[in-house]
Amino acid sequence: MSSSATSCIQTLSSILSAVPSSVSSSSNPSFSLLHDPTVSAEISSLLRHPDSGSGDNNLCRWLYDTFYSTDPELKLVVLRYVPIIAGVYLTRIALRKSLAGFEAILLALYAHETTARDGQPVSVNVPDLSQPSIYHDAKGSVKNKTTELNLAVISPTLEPHGTMRSSRRARIVGVALELYYTKISQMPARSKVEFCEFCDIWAAGVKNERRIPLPWELLQPSLRILGHCLLGSHNSKELFEAASSATVSLYRRSLHDIDAKAILATGSLLRLEKMASDPKLSVDHTEIDMSNVLSL
Amino acid sequence: MLCACSGEQFKFEDAPQSPESLATRDFSASGLSSRTGDWESKLEDDQVGEAESTLKEALSLNYEEARALLGRLEYQRGNFDAALQVFQGIDIKSLTPRMTMAIVERTRQRKPRSKGDIIPPTVMSMHSVSLLLEAILLKAKSLKELGHIREAAKECKLILDVVEAALHNGMHEGIAEDCKLQEMFHKALELLPNLWIEVGCLDEAITAYRRALVKPWNLDPQRLASVQKDLAATLLYGGVETSLPPHLHVWGSTTPNSNIEEAILILLVLMQKVAYGEIKWDAEIMDHLTFALSVTEQFELLAEHGEQASPGIYERAERWYFLALCYAAAGQNEVALNLLKKVSGLSETKREPHVLALLFGAYISSQDPKHAHHGITFARNVIDLVDEVNGHFKGEAHKFLGICYGNAARISISDSERALFQKESLTSLNYAALNMKEDPEVMFNLSLENAVQRNLDVAFDNAMKYSSMVAENSGRGWKLLALILSANERFKDAETILEFALDEASRTDQLELLRLQAVLQIAQERPKQAIETYRTLLSLVQAQREAQSSNSVHAKSSDTENVAERKMEMVAWQDLATIYSKFGSWPDAEICLDKAKSIEFYSPKSWHTTGLLFEAQSLYKEALVSFSISLSIEPDYVPSIVSTAALLRQFGGQSLPVARSFLMNALRLDPTNHDAWMNLGLIAKMEGSLQLAADFFQAAYELMLSAPVEAFT
Repeated sequence: MSSSATSCIQTLSSILSAVPSSVSSSSNPSFSLLHDPTVSAEISSLLRHPDSGSGDNNLCRWLYDTFYSTDPELKLVVLRYVPIIAGVYLTRIALRKSLAGFEAILLALYAHETTARDGQPVSVNVPDLSQPSIYHDAKGSVKNKTTELNLAVISPTLEPHGTMRSSRRARIVGVALELYYTKISQMPARSKVEFCEFCDIWAAGVKNERRIPLPWELLQPSLRILGHCLLGSHNSKELFEAASSATVSLYRRSLHDIDAKAILATGSLLRLEKMASDPKLSVDHTEIDMSNVLSL
Repeated sequence: MLCACSGEQFKFEDAPQSPESLATRDFSASGLSSRTGDWESKLEDDQVGEAESTLKEALSLNYEEARALLGRLEYQRGNFDAALQVFQGIDIKSLTPRMTMAIVERTRQRKPRSKGDIIPPTVMSMHSVSLLLEAILLKAKSLKELGHIREAAKECKLILDVVEAALHNGMHEGIAEDCKLQEMFHKALELLPNLWIEVGCLDEAITAYRRALVKPWNLDPQRLASVQKDLAATLLYGGVETSLPPHLHVWGSTTPNSNIEEAILILLVLMQKVAYGEIKWDAEIMDHLTFALSVTEQFELLAEHGEQASPGIYERAERWYFLALCYAAAGQNEVALNLLKKVSGLSETKREPHVLALLFGAYISSQDPKHAHHGITFARNVIDLVDEVNGHFKGEAHKFLGICYGNAARISISDSERALFQKESLTSLNYAALNMKEDPEVMFNLSLENAVQRNLDVAFDNAMKYSSMVAENSGRGWKLLALILSANERFKDAETILEFALDEASRTDQLELLRLQAVLQIAQERPKQAIETYRTLLSLVQAQREAQSSNSVHAKSSDTENVAERKMEMVAWQDLATIYSKFGSWPDAEICLDKAKSIEFYSPKSWHTTGLLFEAQSLYKEALVSFSISLSIEPDYVPSIVSTAALLRQFGGQSLPVARSFLMNALRLDPTNHDAWMNLGLIAKMEGSLQLAADFFQAAYELMLSAPVEAFT
């Protein structure tokens, strides 16, 4: 048992009402901490508390310290709560409350990514089909070997930011979501459901309150996470339904804002969702042909 | 008789109609009932042994093949436990090398046989190999039915290993046509990744998909495409980054470096197959591609594929709408608008109107004054079509209608038309504001339109409402508020607002706000402060440029940001030149103008400022030339028109009518230009029409009183 995990759980015990012994005496405490439903439920509930994001909140402090621990598994524990932190944070901006606790965590995540990316953007090479690849032969004659790289930037270079400003907010939260996405296969389903629920809130807003702005820096990583929740995670019906609802909400919001990029992206997810939930459309090629049954 | 290599179903001489006949003949003694309902789910070993031996005799099979047949029987009857038990009796491990060798021997390309070239009899027949492969496959499927997915995957993989070991370079066409080897292999190829997905091991699934795709296995095109599509989807949404194994990195620069890259590659390959007619159109492929290219912002490429879809795949209006979205997302509003105009064109009158497309057309039109009239048409179409149920769309349409009318008023050449458009603009915007109380855009545009029409108090209230409606990103809100205050000569208040705004502003907004701050300082006769402010502005631009050039990879911040920055830089130099020329520092002014021109040579304002500089130095001919250059770049550049007229006025005599016509032209373009009115007054005075002159001066004075330090739009 690593000492950082032990001390981490000890501190947590003083914040929560109880940490189950299945976690504290587990042989893999970080893993247990990540997946234990009792602990998650209580932390989630505390994070939604009206004064949860303030600078002196001890849960925020714990999350911040845990993220900086040397054990990478413990970092995953903090990432698990990114949907709630980002969600609650963005919905409370308009209320002009103190959110220094949340901001500290978000800035920590942002700083981590800034260091990890080392000044490089995240980009994708859009292939040129005139050159052959592992999946196809080029049609026609192959032109000269050198092809110009068509680089699409998915996430531009990060500038270091030590403080939160309204002009940077979307980018900083967006980067936290990007980090969450890189580890999404290790996140428990409940965390992903929470993300989808927050998408609903961001998109539709609460009655009589103004909508949260959804610029591309925030929307793009959200869409990738949503795509995974909807189509990449096959085992949870609850998650699929939460993701479907979020897709519909974001699509409606994109129509309302007349945001062409968002309309295209959410529209495609919506159509894919319809096809995924229609059982008539799935064909199993691997089924043995039962028409020629052996007659003995 | 057994048909060894025909691949046909086994035919029996007696062609018994039901399983009962053979069973009753030979099995009843061992207590096996032939009636399906009475089969025990677990057969006793000795019963199986009996069955085997009987079958063996009857059909001259060997031990394993008999088991394989029996197992298949059990599987087809749904008795998966029993089937599994039977299959587990086959010692597959010892057989696999023989199977591999058999495949190698029997699929070798047939050369003309020499006498000694006989295949040794110990090599299995292809029929046996297929039978055994089928057995392994059914074993895997039985395991799957019983919930042991990982074991099922292991069995499945065995099939692939056996065949791939024999056929390193894939299967060529015509291989083993006469037995079921290929079919079994294909089924295994398709089953394995599905098993891994079911159990949540996405990286194994991806490896399995790739295995099926990187060598030719003779899958028919539609099935191959299906596997490719599934791999693309897993790569795109799986959330697991599984890099390509090193032995697949042979393709150099075209080797994908990440899952999303690989997914895009596969989807583009699939779309190419559709385009060439090799597979049929599949909406799912297009949707995956739409998602992938939207997330990576490759909208022009997406539009290309939208255009390549054959006629009939999309409804016309739907296709135009989709393409318009792509082009607009790619920043090509003109192209998008052209497509959308077709949606409301004559060809579509008999069809269901596409409200979203029309609304989108109104939205794009509202962003550029030259499309004002198209925008009005689009918006009116939406309003006419939409019933009360879609009240939201109606409100939006009125908003765009109001903005477009405002733009139309500004480009109008007739006073009466302009007055009408301005009235319509306010009517529409007010309607929109009533219907969409929470929409800040409406409030902003309402404020702007009122400001332009010099209804300053209403404009101020609206601007305050707008700023309270948006928590942030209200740089333009603060700017409008400051301008309105300046029009009311509340300079101190305007400065306070700007200071607050500068704290929260984004980089591009900051430059605009700083410039406005400087202009305010000039208006309050504090040129030294203004120069300092411009200095701050320019150093910000410089700092940004240095930060960017030190970036090793050539990934810049967005192009629009860069363009906006260069423009602000030029404006700063132009303003500085104006200040210096007012104070007689000609050389400084020239330096500033040169800097401005180095950014953009063909700027009407730069040449206008040059003209003013010459004028200050009493070099009237040169001034006139400069103003002419400015007008040759932009014939409707009002400041130069007015300055030309002012110069001509000074020449007196025959130049006066010319000057007057220039001024009338200026007022047609900008009726609130107090300089033009002023000059008209001076001309009237020179000509002796004193009453007329007084009227003109009155107009000039009133307009000047309510003029903002800088135009609202």
